[in-house]
This record gives sequence, structure tokens and C-alpha cells, in this order.
Amino acid sequence: MAVAGKKEDNNLPRRRMLAWLSSVGLFGSAVLAAVSDLVFFKPRVTYSPSARFSIGKPDDFPPGTRISRDVDRVCIVREGNRVAAISTTCTHLGCIVSIADTGFSCPCHGSRYDQDGTVTGGPAPKPLPWFKVTLAPNGEIEVDKNTTIEPGTYFTV
Amino acid sequence: MRLPLAIASFVVLIVHGVVFYEQFFHRWERHQTAYFEQARSMAQNPAEKAALEARSPQIEQVIVTNFGDTRVDRCTTCHLAADDPRFANMGSPLKTHSYSAAMGDVFRNGHWERRHKFSDFGCTVCHDGQGRGLDNFHSHGEDEFWPDPLLGYVTQTTWRKDFAPHLKGEEYMEANCAQCHTQEDFAGTPTVNRGRKLFYGMNCYGCHKIDGMSEGTLGPDLTEAGKKFKVDYLWESVVEPRANLATSFMPKFNLPEADVRALVIFLKSRRGVNFAETSLDRYKAHVANVAVVIPPGTANEKAGEQLLNDRACTACHKLHDKDGGIAPDLTYEGMIRDNEWLTDHFKNPRSRIPDSIMPSFRFPVEDFDRLSTYLASLKTPPPAMPPAETYKTLCERCHGEKGDGNGKVAWYIDPSPRDFTKEGFMNSKPRARFVESIKSGVPGTSMPPWGRILGAEQIDGTLAYVLQKFTKEPGKEPKPRNVPDKNPVATSAASITHGEQLFLQRCTGCHGRKADGKGPNSLDILPHPRNLRNTAFVDTTTDRRFFESILYGVQGTAMPAWIDYGFSRNDVGDILNFIRSINVQKPRSQQYASK
Amino acid sequence: MSIQTPEKSAAPAGVWSALKELPSNVWSSVFRNPVPSTDLERASTSFTNFFLHIHPVKVNRNTLRPGYTLGLGLISLFLFFILVATGILLMFYYVPSTSQAYDRMLDLRGTVAFGIFLRNMHRWSAHGMVAMVFLHMCRVFLTGSYKKPREFNWVIGVLLLLVTLFLSFTGYLLPWDQLAFWAITVGTSIAGYAPLIGKQMQFVLLGDTTVGQEALLRFYVLHVAVLPAVLVTLVGIHFWRIRKDGGLSRPEEAPKLKAAPVVVKTRIYGLQGFVRGPFTKVGNTPEDSVFSWPNLLMAELFVFVLTVSLILVVSLMFNAPLEQPVNVMHPPNPAKAPWYFLGLQEMVSYSAFWGGIGIPGIMVALLLVVPYIDRGTQGVGRWFARERLLANTLFLTLVTLNIIFIIIGTFFRGPNWSFVSPF
Repeated sequence: MAVAGKKEDNNLPRRRMLAWLSSVGLFGSAVLAAVSDLVFFKPRVTYSPSARFSIGKPDDFPPGTRISRDVDRVCIVREGNRVAAISTTCTHLGCIVSIADTGFSCPCHGSRYDQDGTVTGGPAPKPLPWFKVTLAPNGEIEVDKNTTIEPGTYFTV
Repeated sequence: MRLPLAIASFVVLIVHGVVFYEQFFHRWERHQTAYFEQARSMAQNPAEKAALEARSPQIEQVIVTNFGDTRVDRCTTCHLAADDPRFANMGSPLKTHSYSAAMGDVFRNGHWERRHKFSDFGCTVCHDGQGRGLDNFHSHGEDEFWPDPLLGYVTQTTWRKDFAPHLKGEEYMEANCAQCHTQEDFAGTPTVNRGRKLFYGMNCYGCHKIDGMSEGTLGPDLTEAGKKFKVDYLWESVVEPRANLATSFMPKFNLPEADVRALVIFLKSRRGVNFAETSLDRYKAHVANVAVVIPPGTANEKAGEQLLNDRACTACHKLHDKDGGIAPDLTYEGMIRDNEWLTDHFKNPRSRIPDSIMPSFRFPVEDFDRLSTYLASLKTPPPAMPPAETYKTLCERCHGEKGDGNGKVAWYIDPSPRDFTKEGFMNSKPRARFVESIKSGVPGTSMPPWGRILGAEQIDGTLAYVLQKFTKEPGKEPKPRNVPDKNPVATSAASITHGEQLFLQRCTGCHGRKADGKGPNSLDILPHPRNLRNTAFVDTTTDRRFFESILYGVQGTAMPAWIDYGFSRNDVGDILNFIRSINVQKPRSQQYASK
Repeated sequence: MSIQTPEKSAAPAGVWSALKELPSNVWSSVFRNPVPSTDLERASTSFTNFFLHIHPVKVNRNTLRPGYTLGLGLISLFLFFILVATGILLMFYYVPSTSQAYDRMLDLRGTVAFGIFLRNMHRWSAHGMVAMVFLHMCRVFLTGSYKKPREFNWVIGVLLLLVTLFLSFTGYLLPWDQLAFWAITVGTSIAGYAPLIGKQMQFVLLGDTTVGQEALLRFYVLHVAVLPAVLVTLVGIHFWRIRKDGGLSRPEEAPKLKAAPVVVKTRIYGLQGFVRGPFTKVGNTPEDSVFSWPNLLMAELFVFVLTVSLILVVSLMFNAPLEQPVNVMHPPNPAKAPWYFLGLQEMVSYSAFWGGIGIPGIMVALLLVVPYIDRGTQGVGRWFARERLLANTLFLTLVTLNIIFIIIGTFFRGPNWSFVSPF
């Protein structure tokens, strides 16, 4: 066991090396632990319904359809062969907007949107987002609420 | 110290690294990556390819709330291709879940449409298993602590090895189909249907209650058997009834394997809930099932017959072509018992046979009358038969085909049927007593008065048959003992007290402190010590017989000759007074005063 | 100190006398010093009693002047003690589950003995503590007490302010009523406005994309375990720093004392006489200082009694609010954050980023950095010192603006965040 004091000069490089190694080890462990904590806090699953879900076959939505699915908070629009999924969560404080002749209207605080979700009145600060629509391998239409797309982008079935 | 510190610091860094690494790169991620690659090669346009490129492994789950408790099913994390028709020919886990018309799937426009969508049903509702698990061991339910392993696919290590091969097979899943599809003839659950028929056909329903199906009270309630137990326990309970409860009197049925399988699958389907019903529906069904509807104006006798069938009396008794194998034959009941006896016995079997195991059913009083009337109507005598046939028809059920008291229902009767092979006993009693027992029965026991069916000649003939065939050395008539005919000791408080003292000193080891024959030694003795509170028996037994039995013992049984232990006649007289004093019969009107 | 007499050979007599002396022996083993009656004894309380060793032996007279500190720091501390005590008691009946929390609140209000009272105390102490730490910060700033050598203690103080706000915010959610749910929904959506990492931060904070069971659980853990531990640690450092900085700030001494040497006529007990180093001992001459025992202790006790009485009276008179159970489909209009964030919410209504992240961020940054920007040494220890006119004016302006925004947000904003008249 090396004792500090005598023969300092001879052992100094060795001591420095060991000190450096120890600090690398300890500091590295601390960094790893800290990063592990951050990874820990970000949930890998949540208990809310999945953001990506299927709504049915294309045949279930004949051209001209404009229906609201309240549970999923999305409005499915089909014009011809093009399909879109517009969010029905009002961008003001989160109520579910209803479909109106002129587009959408929020019963809570009076926000108004046009057919494409653009704000036409009321306190809503942003337009209604459009969600990505794809075709799943089993032939059903899938809406992905995690991905928003440019309003006006339709998916062709 | 610096060197050890440096080394330790490095070691701890490496350990941290290992811990960190363990939490990434799981097996399910490899499965998912394999799926992405395979799907990319199958992709039909660049947009699809790009979307797959962008996908990275993540935990997939379906949260199902429609079926009772919230279920979180993460099976599709590994089984990612379950709903991708292109993977039908791949190996597990990336294999498409099968489609079939039997499951309601429809083939339309060139592809299958799934009836039971995963987003609505999840996976575990049909397959069991542990939805929240993310590795094989836990998600498939191989963990012995998980109550619902994958039905029909997984056996747990704690299960009996001899049962394990029987517990696999796709038809086990029918148990879960039946949670919603409860109709009796549903095409998708043939094994459950078979099991249900067996449940009724083998008289299980007489002892076991299943809500909405039966009302039996002798065995455990099976309404939630499938929810509470795994298939190995159910299998064992059917093939070895005494494996988990040594005192169970469930018969061992020795069914073929296919029948046991059907029964087990049927029982596994009993989860206490039917997800297709509302609780209001269930309540209505329960009420409908419990009430036995007797059309108004039905004669008591007819009503009694209907009740007998609906109440599953033949789950224990024998009548006509049905035989439960646990209780006496009712075929000649009308001849050997009268209406009053029957009604008393129905209301409380122990009022006539104190150690009977027949439950006290809580039927309405009219039902008792109807049942009694019906049984009393069973007055067709047996045809004339030789003694051997007579024995077989009337006696064998209790006394056994070897006459050793081990008949089919002997195990369930107390006092046990007499063992005729015990020469010691048979040769120590006068024949007249046997004739009397057969003719008038033994009150307080299950031995009925056969004299109401058999004539004197038939009785003699049968007795001779018994003595010759079973006792083997029928002996000489014994000499009558020197005992008084009537108790010489007068009944008095002092006598009774002394008798009680002696009883408590000497007799309780076998006859019990309550004189009910359930003393600590009684379990090891056959025939069992007499229940001295069996009033019907005690009242019809002569003083002489008591004196004889106590002073000189009962050969062929464990009752010793107490004269050898210093009992005097007066002692016995006192004991007899005591015994009689605890058997003071209440008048019939008082017996049911509390009703 | 009792000196043991040698035991006699007769054992029973020794035991008997030991028993007789037991009470006084026990007492003197716990309290090894008598109740002080000499200066020596007064001084030694600071290093013979575990709880009292937080005190210096002597404090400057100025420290005890009510008009100087207004006791704001002490009030904050005592409010924290009340919060911890009532909080722990409430924890015996509260369950952080979305399906049970509200019902538990009803039980606390209706059936638990003293439940409604404890909850009131907790609620009003919480609001009180946020207000008091804010005022304490104002006092420290306006008396220039953040200057060298107290810069880092000021930084600790700003951190304490943030932790206090966060404690109050996390606790606000726990009743799981409409008031709680929507206030936190609004508050956390402000967090989402941060650039780049805003959405991620919001996800980690809430444990999900929206306020739900995960958020309730995380807020509960933060509120009862993590943040109190952080707060206690920081408070410990805060007090340690006060001692090491030589006690609370005070005005420069009068000229006549300046010339006096630091050699003292009477003996001073305690470490201060022996230690050299960067600790200010200026102004701690005997004429300026008094013994902590009993002066400081009495002052603290007085503030404690005052605080407790006030909280008790307020809790008796006013009930903490409990609105309808959470209804995710029904945001109230308007949905307002807790009062201390209403200033933020008002600013957010003008600009999401600047009002929610930008300006508050700048304000906090300014607060943290002010002792290192303002290096002047004049004007310490006095309220509204002339020499610090600029700093004080700037500070008061920002404070007043904040208060105005809070007032507007509280009283003058109605449905759809439109202007309404409160009269």
C-alpha cells in the first residue's frame, strides 16, 4: 500500500495515472447512471389508447363521407378516392368539435373552422391538424395521430 | 490504496455499462427489425419502403376494456405480423394469425376479413397468457405464478408430468370462446358442448352448482371453476377426486380421455361471466333457472316426479334407469316407507337417520309433500326371485356382492351395512334377530323393513343364502346369555348420574363424549361404534340386548366384554338408564315446533 | 456534572441510591448544560445542543430588528414546517389514483377527524409560502443583501424560489378536481412551447401526452419526496451559507466603531474568535451583538407563534376549494393556472413562446446573474438605499409588472380570456 509522503517524486506519475483511471471510472459511471435515469423517466408505453389505429376498410367510407369518430377524436373525409383524417380536438382548450355545414364548430368556447380545419372565428389559435393516413397490410386504412401532415394532403386509396 | 481504487472504479464502470446495455437490444426489437426488413422487401412502392425505413422498434400494445378488468396485451410486439396477410407462410413469431370461417372470418374480394379484430379483442381474451409480458417466459405464461398460461399451448413445470400431454391442443381455446358464445349448440365450441352434455349426463349437476345451470350443494360450486383453476388442476379433480381432498366422496368415474378432455374444457369455460350478457340478463336467467315451474293443477304425484327429475335426486339415488351410486335405491320406496316417514325424512333426513349425509334441502313445503306422494306411489313389487336374485336386487347395493358390507353405497351410509363375513358376529346372534332385522328393518339406520316386500319364506330363504354364501361357517345357535330381560335398576337421578360417570370414564374413547359414536377411536374401527343418540334405534332396542352387548361385548366388533373389566349388573343398569335418558323422544309435534 | 461516588461494598444500597437519582441522572445525561444563567452558559448552547447549533453564539442587533427583515425568511421556513407536518398527515388518507383521489379528498373533507382543517392548513400555508418567499426575495434584493460575499446564497435562494413554485404546482394537481386538472393542463402546455425540447419535456413531465394517471403519479412523487428532499438540502445550504457569510447583512458600522480594533475586552466564546479566513466579522463587536440565547430564539419563537396562529385562524375561517371531479370533455371557460402562474398565462395570451418561456426565462436568468452584474458594494443592509436607486427601481418595476399581470389574469379575464370587469 503506497503511503503518501516518502518517495513522492518517484511515484508521482504512477499516482497521477491511477488517479486519472479512478476518476474516469467513477465519472463515467456517474454519467452512465445519470443517462440511465433520463432514459428511465421517459415512458416506453403509455396507458392511453394507441395513437396509430385502423378505422376500417376503404369500402366502409364511400366517396362523400365526412364522419366524426368521437372516441378517436378524428374526422374521416373521403372525396372521390382521396381520404383524409382531420383532428377534432379544438386547438383552444381541447374540446371535441362538432361537424357543421360550414366545417367544424366547437361547443365549448365558440371556435369556428372551415371544411379543411382552418380557423374562421373564435379563440382557437391554430388550425386543426391533419393526420397521416396509410393503408395497412391487411387492407384497412390506418390513421397515425403521432404524425401530422400538411393540411390539404390526401391519401389515395 | 490507489491501485485497488482504480481497478474498482473501472470494474464499476463496466458493470454500469452492462446494466445500461441490458436495457436495450431486447429480443422483441430483433423480431421487429426482422419484420421491417422482410416487409421492405415485399414493399410495392417507394413510399411504403420509406415508411418502413423510418420505423424503429417500439412496444406495441392493445388496451382492452370491454371484457371485465382492463387488459394490456403486448403480444403484437413480437407477433408484429399477426395482421399482415403476406406473412401467412412465415415462421413464428412473425406468422400471420390464422383466418377461419369457424371464427367468423369472411373471405371477400380476394382477401380475408377478420371478425375478431385485435384492436377490439386484444389477444389474451381468447388465448390467455400474460399480456403485459415482453419475453417468452412471462408472456406465454410459463411462469408458475401466472394463473392463466396460454391455453392449449403451454404447460407449467409444476404440473403433473402424467397429465401434461393431455393438456395441449387447440380445442382448449374453446373454453374462452364460450365466455361470449354461451349457446348450448354453438357450432364453434363442440368440445364445450360435449362437456356440458357430460356434466348433465354423468350427474355432476346433482352435487355441483353452476350458476344458471344447476343447484347442487354437495360438492364445490363450479360457477367460476375455469377462472379459479388451471387446466391441470381441473383434470386432476376429474380423474382423481381424492387427490386434493382425502375425505371427498366424489366418485371416481374412469372416463375415457376424450370425455375427460371435454369435461375439463367445459369447466375451464366456466368463468362466472358471460361477456355477451348484461347483468340484468344474468339475473333473469338465474331466477328462471332456480324456479321449477310446475303447471298449476298438476297432481301431487306427477309434480313429485317432475321435481325428482329437476332436483337431480338421481345424482345420488337410484331410480328407474338412473343411478347416482351414492344413496339407496328408491325403486320400492313406496312399499318400504310410508308417507309420514318420507315427509319427515325429506324435511330433515337426520330426523329419521341421524348420521345420514343427505343434505337438508330448503324446498318449499308443498314440494316435500309432492315428492313424498310420488315416492309413496312407487309400489310395484319385484317379481318373485330365488334368494340369490333377491339378494342381488335388494341387498347387494349396501351389503356388497361379497356380503362384506362393501356395497356400492356402503361408504356413504352410517351405520355401515353389516359385514356378513364376520363369523364372530354372525354366530353370536340368534337367527331370530336377523329375521327381525330384515322384516322390520333397523330403525334409525338405512336398513328398511323388507318385510313389506318379502314374505316370510323369502326372508328365510334370503337369510339362509346369506349365511351359507357369506358367513361360510354358519354356526350353531348361540346359547342365550344370562342377562335380565328388563333393566333391574330403577330409573332415578342417582342412577343416571352414576351411569353418566361410568360412561364418561369408560365409553367415550369409542362412543365419544357426546355418545354419538364419534369418539377418537371411532375412525379406526369398523363397524363404527354405535351412535347412542340414535333415538329411533335406542328406543327399539331391548334392555336385554343392551345388557348383552355391554356385559359380554359384541363379537366381530371392537366392543369388549365389560364384565371382564369389573362392570356389575347394576353398573350396566345405571349406564342403560343414562343412555335412555339422553334419548327421550320429543313428541312429533314438538320436533318441528321451530319450523 | 455529577461525579460518581465510589460504590460501597453493599450492593443493594448502591442500586437503591442509583434508582433514587435516576430521574436527575437521565435528565442530566440528555441536557448536559443547565438552563443558561451566565454568559458562558448562554454561549455554550450553540454547541451543546443539536438543534440550537444552527445558531451562532451571538447575533448582530440589526438582525433582530423586525423592521429590517420583517421575519420573512423565518415565516417561509415555518410555513414549510407546517406544510411538511400537515402534508405527512394528509398522506395517510390520500391515494394518487385518478379513480380514487377525488373520493379521498371528499373523505378528508367529510369524515377524517380534523381532515378539513388539515387540508385547509396545507392549502393556505402553500399559498402563503409562495407569497412569503417572493416577498423575502424582494426584501433581500431591496436591502442589497445579495452582494459579495452573499452572491451564491442569493443563487441558492433563487433556486429555492423555483423549487417552491414547483412544489406548489405539483401539489395543485393532487385533488384531481376540475380546478386542479385544467390548471395543470394549462401550466404544462406552456412547458410544451419551449423550442426543440418542449414536447419531449412535456412528455417526460406528464409521463404521457395528456394529463392523466401517469401525470398524477409523477406529480405526487415529486411533491412528497423528490422536491421536499431538494428543498431541505438547499435550505440547509442556505442556512450554512448565512453562518459562513457572517450572519444576515447589516448596514456599515458607524464611524466610531470602525476605528476600534477588533480586539475585544470581554472574552468571546465560540469559534469566531479563532478562525481566520474570508468571513466578515465587521460589525460584530460586543456593542453590536447580543447572545442568541435567548434573544434570537425568542424572536424565532415569536415569529413561529405568529405564523401558526395566522394559519390556524385562516384555516378556521376559509375552506380550501374542491370543485367538480375531473371531466376531460369539459374544460371550464376560462381555464386558469394557479395564481402565481397567472402572470405567465396573461403574457402567454399575447405570445406563447415569449410569454411562457422567453420572458420568464429571461427574468430568472437576470435574477440568477444580478449579484455578478451589480458589483457595487454600497447600500448593503439598508432598505431603499440611495446608492442603489437604479437596481431597486428596475427590480420594483419588474415586480410590479408581474403583480399587475397576475391581477389582470385573476380579476379581469373572463371567458375566452376576454376582458371582463370584476365589479
